[in-house]
Amino acid sequence: MTVLKYSKTGSACFISHIDLLRHVSRILRRAQIDVKFSQGFNPHALVFFSPPLGVGVASNAEYLAIDTDMDAKEVFERYNACVSDGLRAHAYFTCAKNPNLQGKVVCADYVIDTPYCDVDVKGGFEITYQKKGQTVCEDVADRIYGVFDEGGRLGVRLALGNTNLRPDRILPALNDRLGRDIAVTDLLKTKQYVLENGRLVDADSYIQSQSI
Amino acid sequence: MADFKDRFNKLLTQVEKPARYSGGEWNTPDMGKLRKADMCFCFPELYEIGMSNLGVQILYDIINRQDGFVAERCFAPAQDLADALKREDIPLLSIETKKPLKDFTVVGFSIGFELLYTNVLYMLDLAKIPFYAKDRGEEYPILLAGGPCTVNPEPFADFFDVIVCGEGEEADLEILRAVADGREKGLKKAQILESLKGIDGAYVPSLSKPDEKVKKAVVKDFENASFPSRPLVPNIETVHDRAVLELYRGCGSGCRFCQASFWYRPIRERSAEKCAEYGKSMIESAGFDEMSLCSLSTGDYSQLKELESILVPYCDQKHVNLALPSLRISSFKSDMVRQSRKSSLTFAPEAGTQRLRNVINKNVTDEEIDNMAEAFEVGYESIKLYFMMGLPTETDEDIAGIAEICRRLKNLYYQKRHKRGLNISVSCAVFIPKPCTPFQWEAQISFDEMLRRQQYLRGLLREIKGVSFSWHGAETSVLEAMLARGDRKQSALLVKAYGLGAKFDAWSESFRWDIWQQAIAECGLSVEEYTRERGEDEALPWDFIDTGVSKQYLLKERKLGYAGITTKNCREGCNACGANRFGRCTI
Repeated sequence: MTVLKYSKTGSACFISHIDLLRHVSRILRRAQIDVKFSQGFNPHALVFFSPPLGVGVASNAEYLAIDTDMDAKEVFERYNACVSDGLRAHAYFTCAKNPNLQGKVVCADYVIDTPYCDVDVKGGFEITYQKKGQTVCEDVADRIYGVFDEGGRLGVRLALGNTNLRPDRILPALNDRLGRDIAVTDLLKTKQYVLENGRLVDADSYIQSQSI
Repeated sequence: MADFKDRFNKLLTQVEKPARYSGGEWNTPDMGKLRKADMCFCFPELYEIGMSNLGVQILYDIINRQDGFVAERCFAPAQDLADALKREDIPLLSIETKKPLKDFTVVGFSIGFELLYTNVLYMLDLAKIPFYAKDRGEEYPILLAGGPCTVNPEPFADFFDVIVCGEGEEADLEILRAVADGREKGLKKAQILESLKGIDGAYVPSLSKPDEKVKKAVVKDFENASFPSRPLVPNIETVHDRAVLELYRGCGSGCRFCQASFWYRPIRERSAEKCAEYGKSMIESAGFDEMSLCSLSTGDYSQLKELESILVPYCDQKHVNLALPSLRISSFKSDMVRQSRKSSLTFAPEAGTQRLRNVINKNVTDEEIDNMAEAFEVGYESIKLYFMMGLPTETDEDIAGIAEICRRLKNLYYQKRHKRGLNISVSCAVFIPKPCTPFQWEAQISFDEMLRRQQYLRGLLREIKGVSFSWHGAETSVLEAMLARGDRKQSALLVKAYGLGAKFDAWSESFRWDIWQQAIAECGLSVEEYTRERGEDEALPWDFIDTGVSKQYLLKERKLGYAGITTKNCREGCNACGANRFGRCTI
């Protein structure tokens, strides 16, 4: 099992998760990566993703686990030779089995392309959005795990995975509070975390601890 | 220009499926190379539809292979983006470099369907390019049209500077070169257009004289014709999201209603070795998980066995699903489908009785329908049947024949398998008399008659269990017939209809018949004027195009049709239609 850490930037940001699945199967085929297939009536490539990224949001920390016997370095090189700039991989790991990031990841850091300023969420953080034609209004302060200064820019740590907070959904409320005009495309996911023994561990370190 | 790009990208966060417009597809050619001239290929439909069009991929690839020439793409944006563009005052931009259409050397439209005509105006409107060629000065690009609808380009002739009648592979590049040369020499638009007139297929509406013929453009050496073996990989799922391999052009069946059959003559095949090479290259460069073989009648391809013997093991090894669509019943061989997954079979008998099938020269016999038993034997449980209604000489008996075929198939099925019921889905279009066919003179049945026959068939099919029925809208069929055999007077109609809000007419949810009726009335036209039977000695708007197939041949075929006499497939011997003046049929 090889795990690739890749980016989703530029025009690739606009590719939805469901389309990304199709893209990855094509990337693997043209890269001639020897991926294993499920043994069913409708065989599909055995690849596993970290939690889906919203359309328009960029990321430097997406993960893709590929079930293959090929050497990880070779997978990494072949992958990068057959992918557009927006989906390039920049690290690789070898694991005994699927690290199951989809199920394990609990939060992620996003850096917003806007100057840092303190955002107080202690008193609650109400957002409003549309879901299936309904207007939903909810307090999401418990899913905002932190606000930080990332080299002068505003960083936020939001729930991701089973308990989830879509970063684009906090933008209207954030814009209201700060009087700014932040768009979805100003968001960049920089890190994903899993919970181990009660503390947050960077997904990179977690995968490394699983590697052989 | 950079200004537009940034402002445009901001809009992408506000629209549905932004990947339609973002570009950056795998296999995108080098856009940074030196440009002597560039062309923007416009397809008047959404990205999902346009990216499925093989013609656009072929032509795009040809131009981008040339030094000094670049082709980009633009598809009709959905209404949400169109509204945003208007609001922000951004003109329509190309996908690749986000360059305004107005700034290209040539803007080329691929027009494949009559109901896309208003979308051409929709795109020009968004691009801030005046509709009429006569209203465009030297500062505008040369507007070019191509695609299957150039069989009769008259309804849209007033909008374009030059129209390529026939196949664009050679003509498009020649035109782009000539325009680049002319611009370099500082020639005026009229002088440039004059210089295009010598190119095969090039029709310049503003300079055409009465009795002047335009020779249809034909790719003579199809074996060595360029093919996009490194196709663009669409960002989002398209309607034909797979590698598409063109085996041959033209069709020898000679069904008398079929425009493509006569328009794409002479018949030219590509060798199995070449096809296999292109097929493998497409899988390796794009990574598609599905490949389909595409031609007007794939089952008739003379080297199908050889091609399969290469592609079937190759696709198995690569986990690629090889699809074989559009088979005629007579070319159905159960050994061909045995290897693939048992999904559903698609056949097009087109008419319900042997008599009517003889009239239209659809050489499918009742015995051949009985051969479907073989398919049931290998495990098919679902079948799609395509028919047409309103064909010349059709009676209610012929329509009842459609239900009869369904019953017959059900009986055959129960003789072979008993586990589950057979699913039959019947799709019935309305016959539309098209130019360049033996039926180009025919009348279309009236609107009320369409509804009556549809109701009649619906009632008959309702009595058979397991049959689902779908039909084409009568309104769109009338409009398609009207535009297919239209004339120059219709450019005003198109502008009027677009002004009243007609666009995306091919989508039932946006088609507005009331708008069209109003536009037709306001332009002083009538539907019947266009859907009526034409006299055999009447001058037809598309007569000026020399398609290779002579008018006498079409007339002869029409008479044979009325007599119920079939014409043999071209593969069994030449029928002397005349198309071989444009190149030999290689079958």
